[in-house]
Amino acid sequence: MRVTIADEPAVKDCGLRKGSPEDAVGGLVPGHVARPSDTAALGRVLRAASEHGLTVVARGGGTAQDWGGPLRSLDLVLDLGDLVWIDHNADDLVVEVGAGTPLAELRASLAASGQRLAHDPVRLGGTVGGALATGVSGPRRLLSGTLRDLVIGMTVVRADGTVARSGGRVVKNVAGYDLAKLHTGGYGTLGVISSAAFRLHPVPHALRVLSARMTSTDRAERALAALRTAAVEPAAVELERPAEAPVRLHVVLEGTPDGLRPRVHATAEALGGEPTVGEELPDGWGLFPTEGTLALLTTPPAESVAAATLVGEHCKAWGISAHVRGSAPSGTLWVSFPPGTGAEQIAAVADSMRTGRRTFTLLRSEAHVRAAGIDPWGTIPGLALMRAVKDSFDPDHRLAPGRFAGGI
Amino acid sequence: MAQEEHASPAAVAALVPELRAICGQDGVLTDLSRRRTYESDSLTHHRAVPGVVVLPTTAEQVAEVIGLCTSTGVPFVPRGAGTGLSAGALPHTGGVLLVTSRMRRIIEIDPENECAVVEPGVANLDITHAAAPYGYHYAPDPSSQQVCSVGGNVAENSGGAHCLKYGFTVNHVRGLEIVLPTGETVDLGGKAADAPGYDLIGAFIGSEGTLGVATRITVNLTRDPARIVTLLAAFTSVDAGGEAVSSIIASGVLPSAIEMMDSLSIEAAEKAVACEYPEGAAAVLVVELDGPAEEVDTQIQEVVRLCAAAGSFETRTASSAEERALIWKGRKSAFAAVGRISPAYIVQDGVVPRTALPDVLRRIAELSVNSGIRVANVFHAGDGNLHPLVLFDDSEPGATERAEEVSGAILDLCIEHGGSITGEHGVGVDKVCAMPRMYGPDDLDTFQRFRRAFDPSGIANPDKLLPTPRLCGERPGVHKDVHPLVASGKAELF
Amino acid sequence: MTDRSTETGGDREQIFGDLLNDCVHCGFCLPTCPTHVLWGQEMDSPRGRIHLMEQMHTEDVLTEAAVGHFDNCLGCLACVSSCPSGVAYDALIEHTRHTVEEQHRRPLSERALRGAVFALFPHRNRLRLLRGPLRAYQAGGASRLVRRSRLLDRLSPTLATMERIAPPLSSPPPALPELVPAVGRARARVGMLVGCVQGAFFPEVNTATARVLALEGCDVVIPRTQGCCGALSGHAGRLSEATGFVQALVEVFEKADVERVVVNSAGCGSSMKHMDRTLAEAGNDPTWVRRARAVSEKVVDLTEFLAELEPRAERHPLPLHVAYHDACHLSHGQQITSAPRRLLGAIPQLELSDPPNKEICCGSAGVYNLFEPQTAAELGDRKGQDVVATGAQVLVSGNPGCSLQISSALERTGVSIAVTHTARVLDASLRGLTPEQLLRPGRSRPRRR
Repeated sequence: MRVTIADEPAVKDCGLRKGSPEDAVGGLVPGHVARPSDTAALGRVLRAASEHGLTVVARGGGTAQDWGGPLRSLDLVLDLGDLVWIDHNADDLVVEVGAGTPLAELRASLAASGQRLAHDPVRLGGTVGGALATGVSGPRRLLSGTLRDLVIGMTVVRADGTVARSGGRVVKNVAGYDLAKLHTGGYGTLGVISSAAFRLHPVPHALRVLSARMTSTDRAERALAALRTAAVEPAAVELERPAEAPVRLHVVLEGTPDGLRPRVHATAEALGGEPTVGEELPDGWGLFPTEGTLALLTTPPAESVAAATLVGEHCKAWGISAHVRGSAPSGTLWVSFPPGTGAEQIAAVADSMRTGRRTFTLLRSEAHVRAAGIDPWGTIPGLALMRAVKDSFDPDHRLAPGRFAGGI
Repeated sequence: MAQEEHASPAAVAALVPELRAICGQDGVLTDLSRRRTYESDSLTHHRAVPGVVVLPTTAEQVAEVIGLCTSTGVPFVPRGAGTGLSAGALPHTGGVLLVTSRMRRIIEIDPENECAVVEPGVANLDITHAAAPYGYHYAPDPSSQQVCSVGGNVAENSGGAHCLKYGFTVNHVRGLEIVLPTGETVDLGGKAADAPGYDLIGAFIGSEGTLGVATRITVNLTRDPARIVTLLAAFTSVDAGGEAVSSIIASGVLPSAIEMMDSLSIEAAEKAVACEYPEGAAAVLVVELDGPAEEVDTQIQEVVRLCAAAGSFETRTASSAEERALIWKGRKSAFAAVGRISPAYIVQDGVVPRTALPDVLRRIAELSVNSGIRVANVFHAGDGNLHPLVLFDDSEPGATERAEEVSGAILDLCIEHGGSITGEHGVGVDKVCAMPRMYGPDDLDTFQRFRRAFDPSGIANPDKLLPTPRLCGERPGVHKDVHPLVASGKAELF
Repeated sequence: MTDRSTETGGDREQIFGDLLNDCVHCGFCLPTCPTHVLWGQEMDSPRGRIHLMEQMHTEDVLTEAAVGHFDNCLGCLACVSSCPSGVAYDALIEHTRHTVEEQHRRPLSERALRGAVFALFPHRNRLRLLRGPLRAYQAGGASRLVRRSRLLDRLSPTLATMERIAPPLSSPPPALPELVPAVGRARARVGMLVGCVQGAFFPEVNTATARVLALEGCDVVIPRTQGCCGALSGHAGRLSEATGFVQALVEVFEKADVERVVVNSAGCGSSMKHMDRTLAEAGNDPTWVRRARAVSEKVVDLTEFLAELEPRAERHPLPLHVAYHDACHLSHGQQITSAPRRLLGAIPQLELSDPPNKEICCGSAGVYNLFEPQTAAELGDRKGQDVVATGAQVLVSGNPGCSLQISSALERTGVSIAVTHTARVLDASLRGLTPEQLLRPGRSRPRRR
């Protein structure tokens, strides 16, 4: 019989089992699944995988296995479900977390100390590692930045099993390269994230959500310009353009009840009309639809409304529809197509949006879109350099091959 | 390695005609007395005379110069305004010093997209000046902001007093045009945020000139806050000040800055700029809050109350620009002002978790008493970034060595408390041999792999950031013997 | 070689070395240094020049390149204001220039130009000759030295400007008497420096100064025998020349028996406040140094002096938009920035603005614009644009050199902005003149009130 990774003594205690159809990613069933209990075990598994030349994909909550480009090959799934631990130093507003820790668990734990990771998750049921690997941030990104801005240290296991740390557990630190930036949004193609340290923020005393319907794109643009100069310090300004309805703007303000009163007033004035004012975030705030092809459109922020409108027009021209939502002041918009939307039409919309200073990336492609061979990324500046980085960390291209830009 | 073979003054001299063809006659400095003025940055005890100095004016010239370096294997060292404090711009005697001080155009201020596009030699504060008419500023504000260049800020991931709330350079850069050590130019990101692909911008920032030279930088502009209030609180002990910091942070208030000075640094600042801090203060805190007016007004009362509870004997608040400047004057001058109370000093840049501050400060005080070496403390208390100034008289035999020992022991304290060897000054040459105290061999190997992805032939700012056995010897971190750069004739150490 | 074997020479070198050591190389001086602003290179910044001085000091070498960079320094002292470590760059550059003059042999043409400038500028009477049409001067067979140096070529544009901005009054102002008595009860007895350039080209500024002082209750003593203060020579490192001027001036003001010596020219005032240092640097004996110190301690700028006095004379409204230019030797050399602004700001209906980049030198810098005309013109152009940006009708400065330089730059911008001295604006307000009367050339009379 052929010697497999399961026969390696080094991975005896690494929860190794044979892969099953439930473990399939994009239709590929892995030969094995490992469930290491700690970073050292994860390192041993990856070293063994390296010796056997296995292709490897990490899995946290399994909520984003269909993200990125199609995998070329899959031998081993790393189930990080046991890397669950929270080391919270409340007085320092710092937490270090195992990659497998569910975001919801982390949130609940931090909330007990009146603190939070200032990040709106985009998927239900996701883990810290998954959120980092996909690197996507929800609406409240205007005050404390995106997820990558909150990471202060990371431990990653390289393709050869080497455990490497960068950064640390202090909020200010410039010793060494900030490699966590590469892994955040790296889709697990440069290494497997084992744990990360974050800077935290206090949970605000109070919160207000103002929502207003814009009767025209002109008005939406005027409202956004007025918000820019209003000095109300919004935590989020979310633009929403449903397929068949006018644009809406949602503004989130965080602060103290007294301080919020005039800010709500000034925001309402900037929005015009009579916005609704809520004291809690609506259900499903920031979450992406769980089905259908999903794209990220980036644009210079002043053109957010125009870009959202343009997507709508292109969709209409191709006989499809899309829901556009995203952070207007950041110029990052999420375009979600209803399930079953044709591959050719999506490709056409993507092509026509990829001009000038805009980018259009398919984050999640439905199976038929993937099967049609639609390139999720388009032309990306610096791709040659990205390949060089990939080669330096994973020279044999065994980590999630195919998921990343240019087939990395 | 390539630079070993090619890095000689003769090899550099051979490049001069071609460099002149690229940068023009007055863009290449070969005269020894002129080159010597570039022998150090602001950390003057590391010195090396560059083989040649070039002063390009365009990104194309930078690319051609680096292309020439690549094809000949001659190393290059980038330099901005030369205000660095880790000898990151220490020249290579057999290399090209590439100075960006003539690339100082503000290409665009774009208030609608809330960004500015600048060349690397633009001074940090000049962006704020240019954006001010539109009601914007550039948030990262290192103490040297009127001088230091944005390109240097990108290389060092510079912070500043207000990074407690606003973050560092890496949180404010949207786009970078970079000339790689291979001579190729890549244009990453731009006015649109979240460019797809690996976050190479994020990884480049803070790479200390080892991955290439940024030639065009797109930075975020931040809306000027409606209100800014600065509070000065005086305490009779450093401990009480530290306690106030902890309780402010714990209360959920996020000030834009919390700075602390101890009595020795207050004395220096008083001598330099007569800042008139409360008499008899063993420590002062400078706390700044900004944001929507009503929020700030509510929070400042809370902060004043917390300072009083921690034992402050005097507080002053200021909201006009002039009054605030008066409070900041002492803090901002403290660094250079220390020159007035001591003939020589070493400045450290360690970081500790905020909660470890009181303990670490006590241990520093003990070190000072035991060694007879005075230590003045100026620091960003909000994020645990210490700047102990180790004072000594370099004309006194043995004093320099004792000061270096104290300085090293302070770094050890930081690492022991789970902190960092550098919060904002960078590793450069100065801390390169301390890197193994903070990172293991596998961590360092991973850094090295990343570096080689950008710079396969090792010509970009060699001997900085990552330790090598040649630089740091068998026992990394201990450098009491002759520095290897000196021994090999590559540098003179003063 | 200087005589460094003598004790004082050695001491001076020791002091020079100590002063050099004060520099911590932080670079805060770079953005305020005019030549660094222009050229962006280390050797043309204060930090770089201090490095070159260190080379000169420790290794006793003075290269051609280093001399060039020392010469490039305008001596504006903006670096002194921006230095957090308190480096005495003024003393450093003065010593360095002295060393350069003693040790470095300049090419013949340069020596001729320098000789000509210093044969002309510190002498009010020779300068006054230049006020007439240039032709007359040239025909007058003046110094061969001046002609051979081609100084006139450099002076012509400057002179042309002088003629425009300081138009000959229908009759020149009467020479000032040796004593202008206080109006009302005298509250101080002050001496007044006439100055070479001020006296020759802007006699009306001196008239205004004396009048304002008298209106504010001062007996003003204006010794007729006073000569040059020695600043131009001192700043250029010509210390023995400077010594002669300084000693003569000290004697004059000792005899005048005054409480203060009021100066309305920033360059002169800045230098006169440390005549003791100049004499010491030149190797004079301690008695002279002490005498000079006693006079130096009495020296005040006009605005500094007036701001200390309780205003007595009535300020009449002067509806004018004025931009105030900080002369380097007031702001950086004497740290006087708020006094002139306070005085101007107290004039009813006068609107006061600051030009952007106000800490950067206009390029005049004594006689720098004659030695380095191109650099000076570039800096002048920048200053001109900054002044235009204020939208003011008048630019006010406290130094005659700045006035000449900025007028000439404003000419080139094509925007018509008048240039005058703080004293004249104050004088106009005290006398109740209209803006037109202040700015229009010719005899001005108080308007009827």
